[in-house]
Amino acid sequence: MTQIPVLAFERSDDPVVAGVCGGIAQSLRVDATLVRLVFALLALAGGAGILLYLALWAWSSGRRPVLAIVILVVATMALLGALGVPGTTVLGAGLVVGGVFLLARRGASLRPGGGSFFIPGIALTMAGAVVMLDHIGKSRAVVAPGALAGALLLLMVPWVWQLARERGERIRLAERAAIAARIHDSVLQTLALVQRDADDPPRVRALARRQERELRRWLYGSGFGTATTFADALAEAVAEVEEAHLARVELATSGDAELDEPLTQLVLAAREAIVNAAKHARSDEISVYAEVEPRRVDVFVRDRGAGFDRSTVGSDRRGLADSIERRMRDAGGSATITSAPGAGTEVELSLPREEEP
Amino acid sequence: MIRVVLVDDHELFRAGVRNELAGLVEIVGEAGSVAEAAPVVRELDPDVVLLDVHLPDGGGEGVIAAVAQERPGVKFLALSVSDAAEDVIGVIRAGARGYVTKTISRDELADAIRRVADGDAVFSPRLAGFVLDAFRTGEPLAADAELETLTPREREVLQLIARGYLYKEIAARLHLSVKTIEAHVSSVLRKLQLSTRHELTRWAQERRLV
Repeated sequence: MTQIPVLAFERSDDPVVAGVCGGIAQSLRVDATLVRLVFALLALAGGAGILLYLALWAWSSGRRPVLAIVILVVATMALLGALGVPGTTVLGAGLVVGGVFLLARRGASLRPGGGSFFIPGIALTMAGAVVMLDHIGKSRAVVAPGALAGALLLLMVPWVWQLARERGERIRLAERAAIAARIHDSVLQTLALVQRDADDPPRVRALARRQERELRRWLYGSGFGTATTFADALAEAVAEVEEAHLARVELATSGDAELDEPLTQLVLAAREAIVNAAKHARSDEISVYAEVEPRRVDVFVRDRGAGFDRSTVGSDRRGLADSIERRMRDAGGSATITSAPGAGTEVELSLPREEEP
Repeated sequence: MIRVVLVDDHELFRAGVRNELAGLVEIVGEAGSVAEAAPVVRELDPDVVLLDVHLPDGGGEGVIAAVAQERPGVKFLALSVSDAAEDVIGVIRAGARGYVTKTISRDELADAIRRVADGDAVFSPRLAGFVLDAFRTGEPLAADAELETLTPREREVLQLIARGYLYKEIAARLHLSVKTIEAHVSSVLRKLQLSTRHELTRWAQERRLV
């Protein structure tokens, strides 16, 4: 049973009566005399203080919570009586509280065998309602509908509550299933590949890296599948090239934009540049930086590899001219390639764009 | 040799880093959580703490917050696989002097530790991208313009870092000394930590709520 913080007191080792006041004083960090004074004053209110003391004593001895609650109810009734609330109302309220308590603890289930005290609980509640309403109610016409409404309410509330709980459970289960499926499709597959290719460190590294990206994009980013923004599309392209060519690509981006046709062309051109770097540069790391500004988008693809002299590239090799330069020209942008043998290569792709409103 | 404490919640990863750095720096202590890290750092007073951005009980920021006051000489270098810009920026704003990704090579990592121990800032290309992004968006809250914006030169340096250039390559390209480049990066770090820019503040707040 959960304990209310104030009630979590230890009876005092140096008791005057049973150590209840001292214990409460210690738990509340006040003087014991003050607590004793409060109880003494309450004792004048129809004996409520004495009953309260007994209830707390029963509670703190640990094994008699039901007894404690019963005495507490009686104490409350005594207190209300002392305050001038009519006795029948107090009795009715007490019965209603007792009945609801019984229903909440033992009877709040419509399942077979769910509530052993269901009928006594209902009976007690209704009896309480009748007693109370009989006294308060100016006419008896209120009693029957009121009792009926109360009974219906008591029947419906636990049922609705249970339905809501079951629905939450179903949603959680569905989420778990979706997560399990996703982990199966991605992480477990990758782990299988890692085991198979364990003697090929670059391949294992690339697999781990791609899996890491995928998982992280799913956890923090815009989800799997087709990217809808420029930065996501570029990240996808980078991951593809890393996997296909076993390269290590460090991607940094600043800013982002919705993926439109010219930006798609830019991603494809950048992808080609990364593939070139991975295939020809024999560089252990490729850096890609993309910057989206209001009026232009730049992508830089840099490697520290072999580099090349443009004049020695055969005219049959169309990748650079077609896939990068012409593609950028057609999209309304430009490509600049800086390279020299031994000094690495940097491809700079630039695309002007309209400022979005 | 530089004395390093390693804080990461993955035992395997710590073992890997310990192996890789053997002979380059001295790993004097390890911890797997904020609660473990604080007493270790206080007691060992290392030169550098290699700090995971994500820890189960509060993240790298928690470690910095717990010990930075008492051990002002300890430098923090964030080391993470995290892609989330706000996490990285949060740790930097808490006081880390740099951020490198876990895919960094052995020599690069040792070099980054040395530079942080010397009091320099270490920006990986990814961090440079995050910082450019952070200073590009969001409204400045205070009118302290010097703190709230990057100078054209600082932007240029950060862009080149993001493009994968080393400090000495940037220096050669901009006809500046490596020391000057380091000064620009340190200045950016200072702005990052002191700025009240809306975006940075929001990131920091979101992190604290987690």
